[in-house]
Amino acid sequence: MITESIFFLFVLDLLAFFSIYSILNLSLNVQYGFTGVPNFGLVFCVAGGAFTVGFLSTRLAAWIFSIDISGLNIIDDNLIIVSKINAVIASQPFYGILLLIVVLVFAAVVGAMLGTLFSLPAVRLREDYLGITFLAFGEILNVIGIAYRDLVGGPPGVNVPDVWAWASGWRFAASTLTIVFIAALIFAYSEYLIRTPFGRVLRAVRDNEVAAAAFGKDVARYRLAAIIIGSMIASITGALYALYSACVTPTFVRFHWTFLPWLMVLLGGVGNNLGVVMGTAVFYTIYKLIIYYKFALAGVVPFDVVWLNYILIGIAVILVLIFRPQGLIPEKPKKMEQT
Amino acid sequence: MILLVELVTLREAITYSCILSFLAVGITLLYKTTKVPNFAHAALATLGAYVTYSLTSLLGINPYLSLPVSFLIGGLVALCLFFLVLEPMRRAKASVTMLMIATLAFDIVASGAINAYADYLQTTFKISARNVSLIRMDFQIASLPGVFLTSITLIAMTVILLYLLLNRTYLGISLRASMENQILAETIGINTTFTLMLSWFIAGGLAGLGGTLLPVWTQIDTGVGMVFIASMFCASTLGGLGEIYGAFLGGFLLGFAELLGTVILSKTLGTWVIPYRPVIPLIILSVTLLVSPRGLAGILVRRRSK
Repeated sequence: MITESIFFLFVLDLLAFFSIYSILNLSLNVQYGFTGVPNFGLVFCVAGGAFTVGFLSTRLAAWIFSIDISGLNIIDDNLIIVSKINAVIASQPFYGILLLIVVLVFAAVVGAMLGTLFSLPAVRLREDYLGITFLAFGEILNVIGIAYRDLVGGPPGVNVPDVWAWASGWRFAASTLTIVFIAALIFAYSEYLIRTPFGRVLRAVRDNEVAAAAFGKDVARYRLAAIIIGSMIASITGALYALYSACVTPTFVRFHWTFLPWLMVLLGGVGNNLGVVMGTAVFYTIYKLIIYYKFALAGVVPFDVVWLNYILIGIAVILVLIFRPQGLIPEKPKKMEQT
Repeated sequence: MILLVELVTLREAITYSCILSFLAVGITLLYKTTKVPNFAHAALATLGAYVTYSLTSLLGINPYLSLPVSFLIGGLVALCLFFLVLEPMRRAKASVTMLMIATLAFDIVASGAINAYADYLQTTFKISARNVSLIRMDFQIASLPGVFLTSITLIAMTVILLYLLLNRTYLGISLRASMENQILAETIGINTTFTLMLSWFIAGGLAGLGGTLLPVWTQIDTGVGMVFIASMFCASTLGGLGEIYGAFLGGFLLGFAELLGTVILSKTLGTWVIPYRPVIPLIILSVTLLVSPRGLAGILVRRRSK
């Protein structure tokens, strides 16, 4: 019975993270796969979304639910306030869902602003300048999160209201289902996006910038639009991750939130949404199993096994780049209406 | 006029600028020869720092004696990156973005290996390998720390040697020729693969040198290079990504702006600004790209042509 429930939780967790990464990878696919923007700073917007949740959700919930927090410090007495909010959500599911939606909308707005902020300097320049700017900005929000305590409580982080508190025993099932649902929505959206005239311009910008410009398309504006859409989605990813784990710490590292998405997109097939989702499924399942069974290796090697993970995953990316740069499922030419 | 910065701060700023210049000049050189921003440069610096730390703490030698070893190892690892990863991709006509992600992947591999090595040092040799420093091993002349004197001497030597190599030797001239126009250089019989290898070796070696100075100057960790990644790319861009000597200028301007700026701001606004220091290179990078994407070199060249 116990092993069964552990297995159940493992599968739920796998599904939740598969969906979280699918959303993030679709965001990268909109930016890199469709438009050719080398976003090496995905982690910037992911952290932005998570910090939005960390900063806003407690304050917003206390305000909307009119919970008395006079005399309490929002950071120091974080645990007390969050448990008060959770008690309200536990009795009224509507409040939980409302908070979830409001916070996600805010995260998307913040994502759009952050995306504009960090791409504006380089969006008119060549792709390598964009890549440098993205990489340089990447982990900066951690610095701010650590230094500015009011944001997410400094290095130890803050707890976040559990918007699924109403599901009590089925909390993980409810949260996973919500995330899967949002991932499906975003998948449908990016499939729709690529079929619109706008999506065709994005691909034109990627394939031949000069030709796109010759047809009167403002290349920089289309790039910026793709970055903003992608940043909003990345920010929603961060927000969902924060809500799912019910806490936010300023520890968003490039490896997990930029490098792994790149690996999964390259593996699945650049510019192919379905391929990206399948790449995510294949990679993340293997990755999760490796983490789960890595204790088997502990003691055999004279270092922490997590570094072996880094080495192997880095080598995997290099091998994919050298031997199969088009990914497992390459982009198919889209059918055009004949005139 | 109040003296806002002490001489100590100025000295620190100069040392930091030298270290940044060693890293920035490598980035610029590689960008010029291979047309790719090398994101693994930070890992090369960390590697240099750990080479020095292990040699000094295991063999008990003077940290500066490890300079040639760091140069060699940094250069060889950079050659590995070029030969095993980038060259096959270049032959398959990979895009710049693909090359960039490959250098990022190499950085992940290298940082995994460095971390594993740090664990190995801790478990096998029982010496701490994280948040360590060699400042106490440094010498002093006239109450000036050795790292300050060494970094100034090294940077002067590097500029002179680089100038002599690039302007006075056949090898350097063919390197410059292949920077300017690879196909044309090949047609007159220059082996461009060899000149590329040379540029990767020099750039990696200089990153190793910069890394060697780190443990003598400050505390190092397995992510020490990554702390400076924004600063080194900013320095390189500020100097103009295509201008070799611009990287030195960029390194010094950014080093001064970062250290003196933080000190001056903390004295005028309060000490709370100190943790925000990493924001400074980002602001300078953004402004540079908005005003003159080709860096200071771009501004100077424009003046000259008018």
